[in-house]
Amino acid sequence: MGVLLEVENLTTEFVTRGGVVRAADGVSWDVGEGETVALVGESGCGKSVSALSIMRLVAPPAGRIVGGRVLFKGRDLLALSDEAMRQIRGREIAMIFQEPMTSLNPVLSIGRQLTEGLEIHLGITPREARQRAGELLAMVGIPDSERRLGQYPHQFSGGMRQRMMIAMALACNPSLILADEPTTALDVTIQAQILELMKDLSRRLAVAMLIITHNLGVVARYADRVNVMYAGRIVERGTARELYANPRHPYTLGLLRSVPRLDEPRRARLDPIEGQPPDLTRLGAGCAFAPRCAFQVARCAVERPRLVPIGGGGHVSACWEAANLDRAVARSGAAT
Amino acid sequence: MNHDAPLLEVRNLVKHFHVGGGLFGGRAGVVRAVDDVSFSIRRGETLGLVGESGCGKTTTGRCILQLERPTRGQIVFEGRDLTTLGEDELRPVRRKMQVIFQDPYSSLNPRMTVGQIIAEPLAVHGIVPDPAQRAARVRELLGRVGLLPQHARRYPHQLSGGQRQRVGIARALAVEPALIICDEPVSALDVSIQAQIINLLEDLQAQFGLTYLFVAHDLSVVRHISDRVAVMYLGKIVEITDRKSLYDAPLHPYTKALLSAVPIPDPALEAQRERVVLGGEVPSALNPPSGCVFHPRCPIAVDRCRGEVPELREIRPGHRAACILA
Repeated sequence: MGVLLEVENLTTEFVTRGGVVRAADGVSWDVGEGETVALVGESGCGKSVSALSIMRLVAPPAGRIVGGRVLFKGRDLLALSDEAMRQIRGREIAMIFQEPMTSLNPVLSIGRQLTEGLEIHLGITPREARQRAGELLAMVGIPDSERRLGQYPHQFSGGMRQRMMIAMALACNPSLILADEPTTALDVTIQAQILELMKDLSRRLAVAMLIITHNLGVVARYADRVNVMYAGRIVERGTARELYANPRHPYTLGLLRSVPRLDEPRRARLDPIEGQPPDLTRLGAGCAFAPRCAFQVARCAVERPRLVPIGGGGHVSACWEAANLDRAVARSGAAT
Repeated sequence: MNHDAPLLEVRNLVKHFHVGGGLFGGRAGVVRAVDDVSFSIRRGETLGLVGESGCGKTTTGRCILQLERPTRGQIVFEGRDLTTLGEDELRPVRRKMQVIFQDPYSSLNPRMTVGQIIAEPLAVHGIVPDPAQRAARVRELLGRVGLLPQHARRYPHQLSGGQRQRVGIARALAVEPALIICDEPVSALDVSIQAQIINLLEDLQAQFGLTYLFVAHDLSVVRHISDRVAVMYLGKIVEITDRKSLYDAPLHPYTKALLSAVPIPDPALEAQRERVVLGGEVPSALNPPSGCVFHPRCPIAVDRCRGEVPELREIRPGHRAACILA
C-alpha cells in the first residue's frame, strides 16, 4: 500500500484576543491508499484545523499555516498555486462536514449542487452530469432519485442530507475523503446507517478516508489506524487494535476509561480525567497533559516529550512514562 | 408523608402541537409530540428517558415542569395534580422541580456573573433574603459543584463547557429541589468532562436525596446513571423497566436496535459484532404510521402490526413493552 497523503510538521496558528494559538503544532501523520485513518481528540485539540489546513481552508488573516508540508501523491499542496489547489479540492480530496445543513446551499436544488462540481471538475455536459447525479443518489441509498434531484436541502431529513453530502464528496471519484465528525449531529440509528454506508463505499471504491471524531466507539469500528491529539499535538498513534488493547499515553488511557461501556459490567463510578483542557495561549515548556495526568513525574513539567516508538507496528507515544505505563496500569487495575 | 407513594406520577400524558395553516399557509396539522405516556418516579430514584430526536422526551420533561401545558393527562407531583393549578399556585411547586439543560452556554445569562446567576433564584423565591447570607450560600453552592469561590465573579464566557454545566447545576441546587430534570446534561461536553459531571450528579443525589429524570440519547450514559429506564419512540413509551432487565434482556425490537447501534470502543469486539442496522428513518409525528408506530422500520413486523396499536403490557414482572410479539 502506497502513501497517499503525508503531513509533515504542519503548524497552523490563529491570532486571538488572548494571544497567538498554535492549533496544530508540528503535527505529522499519513494516510495510505484506500486506508481509513482517524484523528481523535476533544474540542480545541486541533483535529479539525489539521483537516482544514490540508485543504488550505484556514481563513486569513486570523489563521495561517506557518510551517510544514502536505504531500499528496508526492506534491506539496502548500506550495501549489490557488488555481492548482482548486483542481485538488472537491476533485482529488473531498470533504464531509458535521452539519450538512450549513454546508449545503439552501437555495440551490439538490441536483444543481451535485452537477455543479461534476461540470466544473470533469467537464461533462449538463445532461451527463444530471444522469451521474441520479446514479450518485442511488449509490448512497436515496431512493426515487429523479424526484429527489429537484428538491431542496430543507426537504431532506438530517440523515438524507448527510447521504447527499457523501454523494457530493464521491461525485468526482476522489482518492481521499476528509470526514469531520460526519455523524455527530445524527441520531443513533441514523449514525449507524451512515457509518456503514461510508465504510461500504470506501471499501468498494477504494477511497482513503480521514475520520475526525471524538467518539472512541466510531473509531474502533471504522478506523485502521488512529492518531490521538491533545492541545495541538499528536500524543499517540497506532493501529486501532494495538491502541485500544495497549494504550501507552495517559490521555488515551484516560479517554478509554472515562466512557461507560455497554459491553462491560456497570461500574459503581466513572473514572474521569480530572481538570480542564489547557488554555492554548499559555502552554508551558512541558507536556500539555501533565497538569491532568495521574502518571506525571518531575520531568513532565519542564520538558516536552516527543513521539517515540513503543514496541513495533508503528505504535508511537509522546510520554516520558510510556514504557512504565503498562506496569502502572496493571497496578492501578489490581487496586480497584 | 407516605413514603411509598411516588414523588412524580405522569398519567396518560398527551401533548399535541398545532402547526401550519397560518399566515404562510402550509397544511394545518397536529403533531402528537407525546401520545399517552405514563410512568412514575420514586423518591431518590433516577429514571432514564431515552430516544432519538423528535421522540417526545424533551416535551415530556417540559410538560412535567409545566413549561408546556399538557393537552390531556395528569402530572401528579408530591400528591398534587399540577395540571389543575394556576400560575400562582405553581410558583412554590416550581421551586421543588428544577432543570439542567444540554447547552449551559445558552441557558446562562451572558451579562450576569456566575455569582448573580446562582443568587437569582435565592432572591426570587425569597429563600435567602439577606444579600450577605446569599453571597455565603453562593460560595457554599460553588464548592458543592466543584468550583472555587473566585468563580463567582466570572462571566459564563470565561468558563469552560464543563465549568458552565457546573454553574447550571449549582443554580438548580440553590432552591433545594426534590426533582431535577436533566435534559441531555452531558451530550454537549467533551468525553473526559462528561464523566466528571456524571460523577458530580451522582454525588449530589446521594448527598441531598435528589430524584432525577435523566433525558438523554446516549444509551451507555443512561445505563450508568439510571435505576430504571423508559425508551420512547414517536411520542410513546415502547419499553420501561429496571436498568438490568432493559440492558440484559431487552424485549422491544426498537430497544434492541438502539443497543446494537451503539459502537463499542474495542476494535477486536467490533469486528465480530453483528449489527442490526435499522432501515428508514423516524416517521413524522404529523402523520404517524398506523398500528404500531415502529412497524415500518421493524425487522420482525408481521401483518397484525400494521393494524393493531400494541398496548404497553407487563411481559415479565416489572418489565413492560409495547410489542405484540414480545
